Amino acid sequence: MTRRVAILGAAALPVAKWQRPRDAELQVLEHEILAKIVIEAVADAGIDKREISSLAFAQPRPYTPQKYFATFIANYLRLPCTGSVQEILGNGMTAALAFEAAANDIRLGKSRVALALGINFESAIPAVEHMMNSMRATGDVDFHAPFGFTPISWYAMDAARYIHEFKSSREELATVSVKNRRHAALNPIAQFRKPITLDEVLAQKPIVEPLGLYEVPPRGDGAACIVLVDEEIAKASGKPYVRVRGKGFFHEGAHQINEVPNDMIALVSAQRAGEAAYEEAGVAASDIDLAELYAPCTIIEVLASEALGLVPRGQGARLCAEGVTSLGGRIPVCTSGGLQSRGHPAHVTPFYSLFEINEQLTGRAGERQVTDARLAVTSAELGNYNAALVHVLEAVR
Amino acid sequence: MSLALLKVDRPRAFPPRMTEFTQRFWRGLATGCFETTRCDDCERLTFPPKPFCPHCWSKRIAWVPLSGRGKLYSQTVVHAAPAVFQDEVPYRVGIVDLEEGLRIATRVLADNQPELDTAMEIVAVNYTDGPLFAARPLL
Repeated sequence: MTRRVAILGAAALPVAKWQRPRDAELQVLEHEILAKIVIEAVADAGIDKREISSLAFAQPRPYTPQKYFATFIANYLRLPCTGSVQEILGNGMTAALAFEAAANDIRLGKSRVALALGINFESAIPAVEHMMNSMRATGDVDFHAPFGFTPISWYAMDAARYIHEFKSSREELATVSVKNRRHAALNPIAQFRKPITLDEVLAQKPIVEPLGLYEVPPRGDGAACIVLVDEEIAKASGKPYVRVRGKGFFHEGAHQINEVPNDMIALVSAQRAGEAAYEEAGVAASDIDLAELYAPCTIIEVLASEALGLVPRGQGARLCAEGVTSLGGRIPVCTSGGLQSRGHPAHVTPFYSLFEINEQLTGRAGERQVTDARLAVTSAELGNYNAALVHVLEAVR
Repeated sequence: MSLALLKVDRPRAFPPRMTEFTQRFWRGLATGCFETTRCDDCERLTFPPKPFCPHCWSKRIAWVPLSGRGKLYSQTVVHAAPAVFQDEVPYRVGIVDLEEGLRIATRVLADNQPELDTAMEIVAVNYTDGPLFAARPLL
């Protein structure tokens, strides 16, 4: 029989531009930052470090000079492990896959305490250089990259199609940015916290039409650590904790576009992964109290909300404009401020989603607390939602 | 059917790699020939061309011509581009569903935003170092 998994503690670095240029005399190094976050997370869980026996890392960006980062940190923090020590990569899904790897060690009885952790430093690398890397991760190097597609250009094409099919508008989609900034204003670890108006969003320079600067993710650095335990340990702690109640994964077997024309904006992977997660959890989408979605651009939050059944198909943008997905609304989405405002250090972004849900489900979200939050859903993705990994999480108090 | 041929007097910003297998596609494209591979067993087309069928994994494939006609499924204009494309911004890219039931992504040659679902034609663009394909509204 597999063991049940719980989140007992977590810590996250405020998302910001922490990385220093290569030629700066004083550097901010990844392992120094991550070690502080790990110690904070383990203290939050109330766990003795000797109980930790698995480490599942999100692989750092290629700009991190220290390679074999996982084994380096096992040394830096003196963490002998009997379960596993590994470093995982899966584009935007990276941290969610690391979380799953840690959870699997507990499910299989290989570990009773496992850390899912990582750091993403990239902000000192100019965007035009960074995109030379990222354009090769989100498309076919020989049949897409030569035309100049960028990671978010695919999302922009989702937006154009959504506006066309559902008679939506850039204005309606942009309300997601306004809502997320309103949430971020209440989140001490968010990268951008000053409230913005719809007019300000629409006035920003275009990045990938129809999306402008505030409708796409900013660049930033982040680090996080989630402490996963066998649920027996969480129960014995006497503290509120979060139970991992269901998970679902689906890769549609396509990379950016499906060569067999399909409904690109249905996000079939999010639909399938969501159905699997709800089924394992024994819940329906209508039972969910809040969602923290991997949604780099406004349009993706709308499409993922629809694909996960939180709002009806084709109505996500309009319902956001009406406040349904705001704090205080029927189904608050991205109470952290989302990727546009909380920030998007891509390889660890799904950790930030789990961190926010942990704060919410343990009643520690302060001014942005969702009243009586009991069931939450998170998603992570890669490509143009070609794959999705969805978790249903439950508050146990 | 042969594609219209355009010329651009500079090299490609990020040239595709050519293999022993894909050279037929790229060399043909330079002369206006737009081809892909089709499975002899399950009869399905694939794009990009592949030395096997991705649907049934048969190795019995044949090269077949494509009409170069389709519809614009979506499009965007890129203003923030990778380093090698800095000289070209802003530029328009899009997704085209070909008549044969294949979805491709490419540059879109149009000064104004074409309506989605507009009929498109694929053209061959010869740069100084080799070809790329592109799509433009069918007049």
